[in-house]
Amino acid sequence: MNTTDLTQTPIAADGSFEIQLQKSGQILQVGKEQSILKALQDAGHDAPFSCAEGICGTCLTSVVAGKPDHWDSYLTPEEQEKGDCIMLCCSRSQTARLVLDL
Amino acid sequence: MFIKNTWYVACTLTELEALGDKPLGRTICNEKMAFFKGPDGQVAAVEDFCPHRGAPLSLGKVCKGHLQCGYHGLEMGVDGKTVQMPGQRVRGFPAIKSYAVVERYGFVWVWPGDQAKADVAQMPVFEFFDNPAWAYGGGLYHVQADYRLMIDNLMDLTHETYVHANSIGQPEIDETPCTTTVEGDQVILQRHMEGIQAPPFWQMAMSANGLDPQAKVDRWQICRFTPPSHIMIDVGVALAGKGGFDAAPEHKAYSVVVDFITPETESSHWYHWGMARQFKPDDAALTDKIRAGQGGIFNEDMEMLQLQQANISKWPDRKLLMLNIDSGGVQSRRIIDRWLALENTTGVTA
Repeated sequence: MNTTDLTQTPIAADGSFEIQLQKSGQILQVGKEQSILKALQDAGHDAPFSCAEGICGTCLTSVVAGKPDHWDSYLTPEEQEKGDCIMLCCSRSQTARLVLDL
Repeated sequence: MFIKNTWYVACTLTELEALGDKPLGRTICNEKMAFFKGPDGQVAAVEDFCPHRGAPLSLGKVCKGHLQCGYHGLEMGVDGKTVQMPGQRVRGFPAIKSYAVVERYGFVWVWPGDQAKADVAQMPVFEFFDNPAWAYGGGLYHVQADYRLMIDNLMDLTHETYVHANSIGQPEIDETPCTTTVEGDQVILQRHMEGIQAPPFWQMAMSANGLDPQAKVDRWQICRFTPPSHIMIDVGVALAGKGGFDAAPEHKAYSVVVDFITPETESSHWYHWGMARQFKPDDAALTDKIRAGQGGIFNEDMEMLQLQQANISKWPDRKLLMLNIDSGGVQSRRIIDRWLALENTTGVTA
């Protein structure tokens, strides 16, 4: 039985990670060249977005577990440090799994 | 192609201030700019392009030194960075271009090229502005013609006989040969006519300066071109035999025609023209009278140049003649070409 908590495990060397949707429990793989937003869209989820480059804040989403890797310019450094929310369009994960409030 | 790493006159301070809380949109060397006064009251220039949806910022208004876009209220700062916008976090908004600006001599000067190279020390110096011994009056024309056609026009005054037959033209201009000299980056074209009757404009100026307008005069025209496209022309008449250009002030009516020629596009330009004079500098009514006269005369040039441009645009492959009277324009264009080559070999294009 695997008891490893993926939200505490560093991401794979190839830069891919997985997201878990809190409400349904669904798990999606986010490839190295893929954004979280794209992974959601490919799985048929209609996540809100606009600029798609981390500026506008439309895709702001709460992080339930795991540690985000922020690439946006919307959140302040303090907010990014806190790590309880993420921009789906451009930011990634520092942990192998990110649990999102979706 | 334009010399871009240099100072051009964008507008007068008066023109900008007359707009109140509205900015001034103006294209200079194909760069669309919006001019406005920043929080410190200094004039600033930014790209006329809202980073939000591309609306011209010049359609907006100035609020506490910020340029508010007239579409969704984005507020642009003097440095091209968005200051604020209703309901938005702006820290990630991409900056737009801002341009170096200098306010001097009543004009707003702008550097349209590489901003890292903008250098106030390269501003031209003029003795007749901000000088109580001189009076200055002028105006602005938007001319639908290549700015170099205006340089050709001003560096060849034989056209006065025909274009300005009723004001400053006279046959002696054609009959008197001119000399063209090049001194470094300056082209000087001059013509001295002796023992002639003054034409109507100069008769008016002689009267204003207490001289008999019917007296025979020596008349001169000394045109000086300096890059990128400034032309100062010493013009005047002195009572015949008193030394011409060098005559004592009481024997002459003399002024400097001031021409700041600012390219807008390949086939249009902004033309700030004026006249600086030393006689009766305190006579504001005379300044107005001269401005009206000069404005009428230069309007005749504008009509000619616009129709000339239309012809050239219609037949762009037609080769034009360069005659002896055109040497001032030819030499001026050589200097422009040399500066352009220099600018483009040092990897500076904007």
